Amino acid sequence: MRRNEFLAIVFVLLATVGTIFSVFAIEKFRIKKFYTVELIARVPEHGNWYPRKIKVAQGKEVKLLIRNIDTVTHGFAIPDLQVSAGEIKAGEVKVVRFTPQKKGIFPFMCTVWCSDYHMEMRGELIVE
Amino acid sequence: MESEKLFGLFDLNWRFELTKFKLVRGIFKSRWFPLLVLIFNLFVFVIILLAGFIGGYSAGNYNFGIMIVWILWWVLLMLILVPFFSRMWCMVCPFPLFSDWFQRRKLFEVKSVRNIKIPAEENKISNGVNIGKPRGLNLKWPKQLKNMWMMNIGFLVTTFFSGFFTVRPYATFVLLGSIILLAFIFGLIFEKRSFCLYVCPVSGFQGLYSQFAMSEIRRKDPEVCKRHPLKTCFVGNEKGHGCPWLLTPFDFQKNTYCGMCLECFKSCPYDNMGLFLRPPGTDLLIDSKREPKSLDEAWKAFIMLGIAIVFYLSFQGPWGFIKDMVRAQTVKGYLIYILFHTVFNLLIIPGIFWIFSYLSKLFSGNQEVSVKRVLTNFAYTLVPLGLGVWIGFSLGIILPNGSYILHIISDPFAWGWNLFGTANFPWTPVFTGLLGYLQGITMVIFYLFSLDYGYKISTRLYPDLSQARRGFMPICIFLTGITVLFLWLFLG
Repeated sequence: MRRNEFLAIVFVLLATVGTIFSVFAIEKFRIKKFYTVELIARVPEHGNWYPRKIKVAQGKEVKLLIRNIDTVTHGFAIPDLQVSAGEIKAGEVKVVRFTPQKKGIFPFMCTVWCSDYHMEMRGELIVE
Repeated sequence: MESEKLFGLFDLNWRFELTKFKLVRGIFKSRWFPLLVLIFNLFVFVIILLAGFIGGYSAGNYNFGIMIVWILWWVLLMLILVPFFSRMWCMVCPFPLFSDWFQRRKLFEVKSVRNIKIPAEENKISNGVNIGKPRGLNLKWPKQLKNMWMMNIGFLVTTFFSGFFTVRPYATFVLLGSIILLAFIFGLIFEKRSFCLYVCPVSGFQGLYSQFAMSEIRRKDPEVCKRHPLKTCFVGNEKGHGCPWLLTPFDFQKNTYCGMCLECFKSCPYDNMGLFLRPPGTDLLIDSKREPKSLDEAWKAFIMLGIAIVFYLSFQGPWGFIKDMVRAQTVKGYLIYILFHTVFNLLIIPGIFWIFSYLSKLFSGNQEVSVKRVLTNFAYTLVPLGLGVWIGFSLGIILPNGSYILHIISDPFAWGWNLFGTANFPWTPVFTGLLGYLQGITMVIFYLFSLDYGYKISTRLYPDLSQARRGFMPICIFLTGITVLFLWLFLG
């Protein structure tokens, strides 16, 4: 019986602490391993792009994981580099891959009219 | 209930014991069941809470918490679990796990049981078995609150925020987190599953509608229980805890307050407990001294019906301004919604039903029976009808939105995961062209159940048949009116 009690406690710990720890560990590993940066999209009055400045290296492939955690549709584009993710619906996640060939500071922006402050939904990609 | 028939066809005394199969009985007697399912459920709820917390104020359509709780769980509960398996959700609900663990000191074992002789007067049920002292204050639940009123009010208040729960993950997180926390705190203070019995908002409507369920847990042979003085199903023994729901499994007659925890299967030394299939709704005719038909259960039926009407108008109807009020687009609109919702559920629906109950008494010509008794008895006719309404409402949730579930099981935190390859499954409504008809057919079927049971209740309420027939007429009109209203809402 003691073995069963021990097993039951282990199962409960795995279901709770184990699950929480695993979820965050897996996500951290995944972002680090597979993506250059995770970009969060929210209307400017609720947080805007996060981060708003992204530093990448010239000639090295960039993988942006863009998460729209908002309740409205957003878009993503870096016109100077001819990069676009198109529409990103509420709750959706999109991945954008590109390799910047030139150095400089390039604005990225939301391409869908998302709020009264839509024009302020901008950030900068710094290619070094 | 002697040789009575449902629709004149099905014997209401018919039972089929599922636990006569060795496999089922073996599973029910194992201490790993339902513990393992419960732990799995705990795992799912941890994901739900995490998704709710991480999701914050983002859109709900891609949130695991919202989709699992309000699309899958709610629909499973109303469409399958309650109508077929009674309070099976309570069997596997992880909310009271931690308070049970705290009180019993053990998660798996039944170690608090000591076989010590104690004086008979200290144990009204029997002498010879001591359930041991549980941890915590272990207070008795206040006598005045031993009813459904707290659950009625709790559920009604919860629905004030329904416009947020279904669209804002954080709201779902707060709701579930609060219930889990309250379950634990109540477990520290009050004995056994007092929280589940008298507070949990999910428990109340399950209890009400489980009276219609097609299954029941009952003792098999009353003579065996009579000859067994120890009543281990109530006080517990080394195999199982005494009924955590504070029931006496050796004589209970209704599903309402049985949480199907299966402890009585484990603690009965004579294997005298059974899980039976039965015709739906047989509990509706039972009015025992221990489980009387009373106002709290009647109000539960009114509230559930009223909430179903408000929910349909708010979430599935074409009236955008109601939706705006429920989702608090303006403070004034939201306050009007809360006021209307409360008055409609607590006063208007019961008030209308009171008028029809009064008419029932008037038409019957019976002077002996009180209007209160007429109301409390006929309120049970709203159990099949209410369940039908909720099944219809649930169809309106699952058919248009069910496909989201494929997305969220692959990407539970909207982080771009694709665990099962279904993260990009598009939103695909299913059979929505037939939705109104399915809802309408459901409504009519459950209306017929209500009529049949209503007539049977009438024959019990009024002493002679002609009084019963006359007395049932106003109730029949009320039930028909509600059915027509929903047919209009579903099909119109």
